[in-house]
Amino acid sequence: MSKSLVGQPILAAGRLLAGLFLLSCALPAEDARQIVAESQRRGQADSQRYEGSLEVISPSNKVTKKRWQSDRLGSYGASKAIIRFTEPPEVKGVALLVVNHPDRSSDQWMWTPAIGRDRRIAQQDRSTRFFGTDFSFEDLEERDVDQFDFSLQGEESIDGAPCWRIESKPKEGKSSQYTSSRVWIRKDNYVPVQYENYVKDKLVRRLVERDIQNLQGIWTARLLEMTDLGRKSRTILKLENVRYNAPVKDDDFTVQALRRQM
Amino acid sequence: MILLRLISWPYARKHLVRWVLTIGGIVLGVALLVGMYTANQSVLEAFNRTVEHIAGKTQLQVSAGDGGFAEEVLERVESDPDVRAAAPVIEQVVDSGIKGQGKLLILAVDMTGDRSLRDYDLEGGDEDVMDDPLVFLAQPDSLILTRDFAARNGISSGGKIAMKTMDGDKQFTVRGILRSGGMTSAFGGNLAIMDIYAAQKFFGMGRRFDRIDIGLKDGVTLEQGQAALRKLLGPGFEVDPPSGRGQHFESLMSVYSMTMNIASLFALFIGTFIIYNSFAIAVTQRRAEIGILRALGATRGQIRSLFLGESAVAGLAGSAVGIGFGLLMAQGLTASTNAFMEGVMGASANADHMLVRPWLLVTAAAVGVVTSMVAAFLPARSAARVDPVKALQKGQYQVLSAGENRRRRTAALAAIAVAAGCIVFGRSVVAFYAGYFLAVIAMLLLTPALSLFLSKVLRGPLKWARPVEGALAADSLIQSPRRTSATVAALMLSLALVIALGGMARASYREITEWMDTTMSPDFFVTPSEVISARTYRFPDNMTDGLRQIPGIAEVQPVRIVRINFRGKPVMLVAIDSESIARRTRGQKVTAGDFDGMYRATAAQKGLIIADNFAQLDKLKLGETLEIASPAGVLRLPIAGILEDFSNQLGTIFIERALYRRLWKDDAVDVFRVYLAPGAVAAHVKAHILERFVHERRLFVLSNKEVRSWVLKVTDQWFGMTYLQLFVAVLVAILGIVNTLTVSIADRRRELGVLRAVGGLRNQIRHTIWMEALAIGIIGLTLGVAAGAVNLYYQLTIVRQSFAGIALDYTFPFGIVGLLVPVILGAAFGAALFPAESAVRSSLVEALEYE
Repeated sequence: MSKSLVGQPILAAGRLLAGLFLLSCALPAEDARQIVAESQRRGQADSQRYEGSLEVISPSNKVTKKRWQSDRLGSYGASKAIIRFTEPPEVKGVALLVVNHPDRSSDQWMWTPAIGRDRRIAQQDRSTRFFGTDFSFEDLEERDVDQFDFSLQGEESIDGAPCWRIESKPKEGKSSQYTSSRVWIRKDNYVPVQYENYVKDKLVRRLVERDIQNLQGIWTARLLEMTDLGRKSRTILKLENVRYNAPVKDDDFTVQALRRQM
Repeated sequence: MILLRLISWPYARKHLVRWVLTIGGIVLGVALLVGMYTANQSVLEAFNRTVEHIAGKTQLQVSAGDGGFAEEVLERVESDPDVRAAAPVIEQVVDSGIKGQGKLLILAVDMTGDRSLRDYDLEGGDEDVMDDPLVFLAQPDSLILTRDFAARNGISSGGKIAMKTMDGDKQFTVRGILRSGGMTSAFGGNLAIMDIYAAQKFFGMGRRFDRIDIGLKDGVTLEQGQAALRKLLGPGFEVDPPSGRGQHFESLMSVYSMTMNIASLFALFIGTFIIYNSFAIAVTQRRAEIGILRALGATRGQIRSLFLGESAVAGLAGSAVGIGFGLLMAQGLTASTNAFMEGVMGASANADHMLVRPWLLVTAAAVGVVTSMVAAFLPARSAARVDPVKALQKGQYQVLSAGENRRRRTAALAAIAVAAGCIVFGRSVVAFYAGYFLAVIAMLLLTPALSLFLSKVLRGPLKWARPVEGALAADSLIQSPRRTSATVAALMLSLALVIALGGMARASYREITEWMDTTMSPDFFVTPSEVISARTYRFPDNMTDGLRQIPGIAEVQPVRIVRINFRGKPVMLVAIDSESIARRTRGQKVTAGDFDGMYRATAAQKGLIIADNFAQLDKLKLGETLEIASPAGVLRLPIAGILEDFSNQLGTIFIERALYRRLWKDDAVDVFRVYLAPGAVAAHVKAHILERFVHERRLFVLSNKEVRSWVLKVTDQWFGMTYLQLFVAVLVAILGIVNTLTVSIADRRRELGVLRAVGGLRNQIRHTIWMEALAIGIIGLTLGVAAGAVNLYYQLTIVRQSFAGIALDYTFPFGIVGLLVPVILGAAFGAALFPAESAVRSSLVEALEYE
């Protein structure tokens, strides 16, 4: 759950949400797994492009800002994405390629132009913070719903909108830094609006999605705020110029393409 | 205990100076033992501590000698299902560039994957180690320093620190501070974290890693993980726990520590003779006292225990002082061991504090006490055998019997015969060492007889120089051969050591100079470091062509030098352009094989050349096939030739560079050997080289003379022990002679008193004692030179057979002997000054009280 749903916001930019009309053909609400699957289905797009601005607010309220451009290709769980940092000047040109697999951890590569090198990001450190943000590398991954067990915990309202509260746990043999996660999915449009991730029984990260807009028929959260409750730091990601189904080539999502400067 | 307090203590107090001198030998031996062992252990422990702290949760490490391996190996390691985490590492020791801060250990890691093995957030994690992890990775000039190092140098986050890189001097930006504790205490806190890909660039490493640190999955045992990785990677890789690096370092250090330990053992051995001498004299002096005790009912056992008790107390006191001196010495020795390991072996430990092991102190004290008691055993036994009736008769002395002398001579001759037999017929190491031991025993057994003989020989010249004083001095020695012989024996052993070491040094210098004359023929050595043995930086292969294009350069020979593991030992692998090297080093001393043939076979990648010392140490023969584990599999090549080579004490293998590049996937260059074209001006060519490359990369153009003087400096460092041995010899001479003279004067108080009473001048007394001291010095020197000549033979054999495999020619070090004559005679004379004055100023009434 944590990977499949928390990971989506950065790469899939604020969750891809289907129109309200889909409510009419909604699956039985009590089936937690199907709710999540439906939520994912409604977010499908062939491609997505956006410009992101990132603010990391440290425990001492020091604010670090960055900007990037993100391109994503492919369907959920088998997508590829490239993030290229554009600001500040010290990180301009640094790029990250993520190739997701539905059944296992994603492959990730990073390009650092100052030394002209790409590097494969080690599989073992998926739980560490994604370049100083409050997201972890694992949070970037997309995983198939079949890798988790879901249970419907109840119903609650978030910002006045009725939501299902669903708990997910990795299936036996599937690894995750989180013991369990909870997601609140709006009943009206199947948009996930809040996530909580637990290690044992301790809440470690919370993601809140706001400013949800229908863009090209896909409900998209344009503001995401991740809080690391252990560090007491926050990361705010704002999405700008979001475009879906723009023409992109598979060749643009390779390690060779990663090396190409913008 | 009561006897010790009532009998021994008053005697010791009366002869305090002599007792202090007596225990000097123990002090010296224990001090050397404690000092050297503590220094070695401190350096080793510092290295192990650094390894341990840096290892973090690492369970296994994959390495392939100090040349590292290609990056692709990481993916192979990651593919092992037993591996939970695999983190590539590069470690380099660089000059911190800050005055007084010494070296800085650069730990270069991939921060995106390293945290599963190493803990960078040491105290909770509410504060970031790195200011911005993305900037740290994006900017190759990023460094993380330890808080201690940063605080010591007033550096804060965002501050700059200069460092030498392959691109020249470069300013690095501190983008993180590691809090104190754990990893930060590695390398004495002089630790900096760098991005591994930045390190590859700055140290000219290409796409290579030094090693991969590995964490295993839960449930996988170390043995299982190790076996699986060994199978996966093949024999060219070593897969060991982090502690394996300590063993490697220890094996490099063992050559050095063995030399150091020999000195301390010798000092203790010599100290034994000094103690023996003192107790033998004490027994003689205290015969009347022993007689009274025996008459009062003391048993033989009680008398023996009294003297053994005294020796134990003396040993304990000597050990206590020796331990104190040893710990003081250890500080200086730690620094020099550090310097040696870094300069000669290219391995650094940065020992910042001494490691004092309680068991070492206990052992050292026990060694001191036991040595003292062993030395006192014979005198104590002799004391126990004193006949109380004879002892109480004035003027009765027990002298060395003619029968005892004969027995000793017979035993000595037998020992010599067996030792000679061991040399001629002995094939095993045991026979050799048995022969050596017997030769030393023979020398010791012959010392009293030879001392007596030489004293008689010297009587004439001494009498000729000063008729009265000379005769008195010689007679004193002739009448008391036992008193003289122990001091002479100690002096002889000490000088034998100095002469052997001096002989080895001399032979080594000559061999090394000859080797340099043929091998070190290039006009310039272009290196990435000031010191040719340093391995921190390396050149890329494409620099070869750049150098060849410089006007005035006739030939460029790129050389790659790495340490590899061969049969569990770190040996040196040198990759050369064989054809070119053969053309330029024609005079090389060939031990086995044909010069042209061996280089032809090596150039054709059908053979390899090994150093003579390697062949000796590992019992390798011409034509034998060597199996060298490379990252691409086992390289099997026959030995095409054996050459004399002094590059490495543990052995050197030469292979064709093209072969090395192919199998090790490494085209880096450690040194370019540059030959000038006829008529080229060296200064101009050097300027051109610098002009061409200095803006691109760090490089040094060392002249032939500079490299040669560096090699000789390293040799000096190696034989620096000679000077320490010389110091020990002088100290032994002074201690022994002062002791002997003090006793001699005490023995002859009556005789000297009578001499003065019948009109003898004070100066005559003085001269008598001076001449006696000089005579002891001359006898000691004569026997020492003879023993040294024998010892040199054995030491050269040990060096060849089991130490460094180097066959050095026997050349007697006349120069050292020339130096020893004035030093020892000067020491003997100096040692006589105080006793002579004491004799001159002693009370005439007391001296004649029996008359």
